[in-house]
Amino acid sequence: MSIRRKYNKAVQTNHLSMQERIFLSHINPVKDKIYRLALRLLTSRDAAEDATQEVILKLWSRKDKFKYYANIEAFAMTITKNYCLDQLKLKQNNNLRIIHQSYESKQTPLQTEIEVNDEMQWLGRIVDRLPEQQKMIFQLRDIEQYDYDEIAEIMNMNQTAIRVALSRARKAIREKLVKKHNYGIK
Amino acid sequence: MESNRIEYLLGRYEEGETTLAEEKELREYFSQKEIPEHLEAYALLFKFQAHESKAVYTEDKVLKLESKNYRFAWTSIAAVIIVALGIFYFNQSQPSLTTSEMSAVNDQEQALEKTKQTLKMVSAMMNEGTADLVYLQEFNKTKNQIIELN
Repeated sequence: MSIRRKYNKAVQTNHLSMQERIFLSHINPVKDKIYRLALRLLTSRDAAEDATQEVILKLWSRKDKFKYYANIEAFAMTITKNYCLDQLKLKQNNNLRIIHQSYESKQTPLQTEIEVNDEMQWLGRIVDRLPEQQKMIFQLRDIEQYDYDEIAEIMNMNQTAIRVALSRARKAIREKLVKKHNYGIK
Repeated sequence: MESNRIEYLLGRYEEGETTLAEEKELREYFSQKEIPEHLEAYALLFKFQAHESKAVYTEDKVLKLESKNYRFAWTSIAAVIIVALGIFYFNQSQPSLTTSEMSAVNDQEQALEKTKQTLKMVSAMMNEGTADLVYLQEFNKTKNQIIELN
């Protein structure tokens, strides 16, 4: 009986690790994108890491249905979006302020020039102030470079609406940049 | 001529009309050093995009968590086995005890004797106990005295 149990155990763990390997091969190319979207929405590094982990666990729990999804990456991003929006709703009242404080420590690489880092942080803050929808679309298009079909799938919106939101986001960022720039000169 | 095209592309970019290839062209253009002053805001924007795409998820918590899950699974299986064995053991051992006792007194007369013995023992114990109650009467005496005084 114990031999039989051992045999079953061996078969089971083998099976799982194979599944795990397949799962990881799907997830590895996407996990940085998940993390960056979470970071864009939640601002804090820790929160984004937790969110990434949660999303991967959610995906893990649905790994058996992977073959039914045409685009796993888009599916993963949708889950990330929904999870982060839920988190934001939960934290809407108090914690969001605290998260924002940890923003400074976000850009850690010391080797990058301080000036560039400053500009990037400041741009990050501009993007931060965009409405959530625009923020996400900007992230997906201009940083992750998804095509409009994928963004439509992730955001569950039609392409025209996405283009409009994206256009607004780009204009808003540029306007603020120009304002700041002129202010610096004058 | 090139800057004309760039400005045209930027116009389309702001309207959300550019294709991914055109955006790549813009990104490449702005990654060079010499940018006309009036386009510097865009240079920053594209630099920001490149900068932001470098953040990486470094944690490998996921794998750890998965192996943790297995550990939990095995402890729970072990716990179930222990509990099952415990229940099995007690269920088996209790009836065997009672049957052995029953078999010792299956004879009727013997049973009667035994009962008498135990009852006697109980009454003897009771008497021993009541003997000590004599002291209580002392208390009653003093109590009665107090009541009389009142």
